[in-house]
Amino acid sequence: MNWPSCRRSVEAERREPVEATMPRLDLQLLTTTLDPLACLVAWQRQLADLPGGMPAAEAHFIGRVRGVSGQGLPLEALELEHYPAMAERRLQELAKVTAQGTAAVLVRHRIGQLRPGDVIVLVAVAADRRGPAQRCGQALLEGLKHEVPFWKREWVNGVGTWVEGNTPL
Amino acid sequence: MRVKLFAGLRERAGWGERTWPHSAGLTPHQIWSQLPDPAPAHSVRVAINHSFASFETPLNPDDELAFLPPISGG
Repeated sequence: MNWPSCRRSVEAERREPVEATMPRLDLQLLTTTLDPLACLVAWQRQLADLPGGMPAAEAHFIGRVRGVSGQGLPLEALELEHYPAMAERRLQELAKVTAQGTAAVLVRHRIGQLRPGDVIVLVAVAADRRGPAQRCGQALLEGLKHEVPFWKREWVNGVGTWVEGNTPL
Repeated sequence: MRVKLFAGLRERAGWGERTWPHSAGLTPHQIWSQLPDPAPAHSVRVAINHSFASFETPLNPDDELAFLPPISGG
């Protein structure tokens, strides 16, 4: 599969010099509760060290566990299984491709047992322009949903059901 | 070689990891067809040594083969 690129358009590249530095990637899978705002604050402090200082644009996405299952029943818990080693490798590959043309990418993805309202995923992208930041964030999210080996199991009334497929955009 | 199953595939088969005897020309498709009550192959993806691969890729004795049900991350 070809990932949507976050490269600038040909016209933009003619107008402006292309950044020579590689985007800074900060990617982690977490087994503990994720506080997205604290993560963002810590990440933004590090962005100040980038050549040229803080990038002008940031795009953020926070995904939480729904309160209902795919069948519309009250959800007790959501379990997230992953394929160790492959999930980390695929996330790294995905980020390297989608982050082209950006300055920095932050991804935090939960694994293990989660409750309704818990944060599953945080994606943040910093770039010189809103276009690359937003496109990269969107591509990363779609890649996480379809190309990194995670599997969700919904728990309702003590019964677990594996989720096959993803919710529409 | 090692064979791994994840999520619903693991529970359907009743095991998550097994050592599998290797033979010349062995492919993921041949192993998949030997599993009892396999899920439809079109809904499953294959990974060899942590990279996506095809059902027809020849396997090596030291490979780690995984069958992956539909991914649902994010």
